Amino acid sequence: MATSTGHVSGARATGSSLRLSFLMFMADPQWLIPSMIAPVIFGLVSFELFRSAGPYFLTYAILGAGMMSMWGQTLYGSGWAIGQDREFGTLEPTIGAPAPYLYVVLGRVLWNVISGLIGGGIVYLVVVAAAGAPPAVPDPLGFVVLFVFVMLTLASVGIVFTAIWVYTRYAGFVQNIGEFAFYVGTGCMFPVVLLPFWTNPIALFFPPTWAVDALRYLAIPGYVGFGWGFWVDLAGAVATTLVYVGVAGTIFRRVERHVLEDGSLSWY
Amino acid sequence: MSDPPAIDVRGVTRVFDSRKGFLFREHTRTEALRGIDLRVESGSIFGLLGPNGAGKTTLVKILATLLLPTTGQALVLGHDVVEEQPWLRPRIGLVLGGERGLYNRINAKDNLRYFADLYGIPPAEREERIREVLERVDLENAADRRVEEYSRGMKQKLHIARGILHRPQILFLDEPTIGLDPKSARETRKLVRSLVSDGVTIFLTTHYMFEAEELCPELAIISKGRVVARDTVAGLRQLVGGDRTIEVEAYGFEDREIVSLRSLPGVSKIVTEEFGPRTRLTMRVRTGETLPGDVTDVLPGHPELAVRERRTALEDVYLDLVEEEAP
Ligand SMILES: Nc1ncnc2c1ncn2[C@@H]1O[C@H](COP(=O)(O)OP(=O)(O)O)[C@@H](O)[C@H]1O
Ligand SMILES: [Mg+2]
Repeated sequence: MATSTGHVSGARATGSSLRLSFLMFMADPQWLIPSMIAPVIFGLVSFELFRSAGPYFLTYAILGAGMMSMWGQTLYGSGWAIGQDREFGTLEPTIGAPAPYLYVVLGRVLWNVISGLIGGGIVYLVVVAAAGAPPAVPDPLGFVVLFVFVMLTLASVGIVFTAIWVYTRYAGFVQNIGEFAFYVGTGCMFPVVLLPFWTNPIALFFPPTWAVDALRYLAIPGYVGFGWGFWVDLAGAVATTLVYVGVAGTIFRRVERHVLEDGSLSWY
Repeated sequence: MSDPPAIDVRGVTRVFDSRKGFLFREHTRTEALRGIDLRVESGSIFGLLGPNGAGKTTLVKILATLLLPTTGQALVLGHDVVEEQPWLRPRIGLVLGGERGLYNRINAKDNLRYFADLYGIPPAEREERIREVLERVDLENAADRRVEEYSRGMKQKLHIARGILHRPQILFLDEPTIGLDPKSARETRKLVRSLVSDGVTIFLTTHYMFEAEELCPELAIISKGRVVARDTVAGLRQLVGGDRTIEVEAYGFEDREIVSLRSLPGVSKIVTEEFGPRTRLTMRVRTGETLPGDVTDVLPGHPELAVRERRTALEDVYLDLVEEEAP
């Protein structure tokens, strides 16, 4: 009996991993409710706070604290999925399969981007319903495209974070401490320029900082931010994202080796 | 050129340095394998028998490229498990079994589709192949049910289905019947036997002596990270000096009597055990040289003397070996 394994395509592994994530979600879709409660409340609260601040208050409400949990989904959901794989005991057979593990992770991350967008859509609808009218956005199409891009920059950070999840069983612990700092530090919650100056250079290492700043330029007329304008922000976001994706490729090979050395693929 | 052995392990050791806890670290150092040498030819079922904690799973994971050895080298199908993972992974199958290791919330088919994709099974063949393995393990009627509804035995079958989905040349089965009810265990053993006829080499671990005896023409016994014996089932019986065992029970024996038993032809080893007022002597004997009647003749005047002869079970050999190994 000849082994009849064909060529293992990265795209196919990624697609299959995305499909698996979707099926796992569909098996238990009610998780969406608890993960939506916080964003919806944040969205509504900031809408009330910014109500009298001008015509773009609604955009602030949606882009601000309300998005926090949604972005969390993109950024950390993948790492969490790895933690689950370890708990289920499925990390071993997955890593033991010929497909490079990075492609599997990519599929998980893409699913999290998609589910993040679904969550974002729900927050949007709730806040709009509360406001009675859709937000005033100068360039709605550009906004949507850029919004998806912001999610992808978060996903690129997510892949690197995921490597840490694979690397160590204690990633969850580290992450719980780091999560809040990350939202503040990258300007996901409010513009980084409002933070003490020394935090700004650190924030620039993270792709979302640039992307979120660009998004604010697009959506909020009169926004100042770092002051170097939309296009520089966009270029910075693309460049840093590419660096993260490149780094992820390298890290993953090392991480895979490390876990085989360490014997930490399963709970022991 | 002759085929390389299916498995060739040379001086493999594995140490686990585990640190538990994040803030309050607790170090433990376990020598799971202390220098394993083992060669297994292809085309049969080879058994690795040993008690819990002997290092069976550790060795299987090393051979299946999921764990690196600390020192030593291991070749599977002639290829190094550390340096040649990409070559090996499509050619080996691993069944760790147990409750874990499957996506419980989705059905069997979707579990297999995912792994078929990760193994690069040609898309045009995927569905047919999945149908084929599910039929093979007798799960075709449960294919669309969520795995969480499966019994322990059905999960084990699905584990095996996943292990053979990509038609590996060598299949590692780690304690395939552990935790199964007797009926499922029997079915699983039957399935394992049937796989050999496909030409796949099977490396099976177990801590059940009877299972090794039933399934594996050749086996190695592992204890505390070392191989303490490696032979055919018949050879292992010889190893402890006799393929027959005679058990004698009475209310105590005199030393003189034991000495004369020992001098009977073909008797190699006598173990004494006390059960309350009764004493049992277990003797290893070579076929035909000493019969139960000869034993009775040496022990006159014992009321309620019981003499039984049986084939030396692999369990006897196993206990002899594992006990000798004890510190
Ligand atoms: N990942 C691990 N981390 C720390 N210790 C381990 C790990 N895996 C196995 N061990 C230890 O190594 C020894 C051998 O374990 P194992 O190979 O699972 O034995 P078996 O499968 O024969 O029961 C045991 O003492 C076990 O506690
Ligand atoms: Mg084990």
